[in-house]
Amino acid sequence: MKEMTKKQMADAASRHWNGDGNPLGANSEIARKLKQYYDELVSDHVPDRFAQLLSQLEQTEPAQKKD
Amino acid sequence: MAAVSQSFKTELLGAIPSLRAFAVSLTQNADRADDLVQETLVKAWDKHESFQPGTNLKAWLFTILRNEFYSQMRKRGREVQDSDGIMTARLAVHPAQHGQLDLKDFRGALEQLPEDQREAIILIGASGFSYEEAAEICGCAVGTIKSRVSRARARLQEILKISGEDEFGPDAISAQVTGSNAA
Repeated sequence: MKEMTKKQMADAASRHWNGDGNPLGANSEIARKLKQYYDELVSDHVPDRFAQLLSQLEQTEPAQKKD
Repeated sequence: MAAVSQSFKTELLGAIPSLRAFAVSLTQNADRADDLVQETLVKAWDKHESFQPGTNLKAWLFTILRNEFYSQMRKRGREVQDSDGIMTARLAVHPAQHGQLDLKDFRGALEQLPEDQREAIILIGASGFSYEEAAEICGCAVGTIKSRVSRARARLQEILKISGEDEFGPDAISAQVTGSNAA
């Protein structure tokens, strides 16, 4: 409420939360493309390096904080 | 220093796809994104004790990743910041035909947004965070997030030349952001 009046807040809220609860508008092409863009990234194959990294971190415990 | 619990590790592993998606959204570069995720995991591991069990781990990790991203940006001197639409100006996207917007065009448009707007619209419109959580992650007011999302949306519509989106039915948001008589 620091930067917006109550009316602005209410307007913003009604603007963002229409449709089925999607802040960008349920029917919006942009909302759908955004989801599509992001879902594609999320479903991308995760390289092994991350699991390996976590195993390494686990093995070096307790952390010595040398580097 | 207490040992990192198995469940913490499992949750970290589970969060990696989301972290990578957010990182790509921020950096627009797959290699930089993966380096950023790696850095985030190491940091999260080191400071696991500061995570409050029961709170949102994903939001906590996104916060770390975002901080790391901006600190790297500062070091690099913000070489890729698109300040006044220079990149936007040379982006020639043909008008979307009846909403059949190509994902490649969309990606290109997203890339033209200033980082603060891009991250806001991603956190709210794609990652599934609430305005409150997004504000927490970005360290700003809820109202700031709302206005960034609004501007991001307007900017995307402008770049992609989507005006009314009439064919999808009445849309109060479009009418608002295009500023007039979409209906």
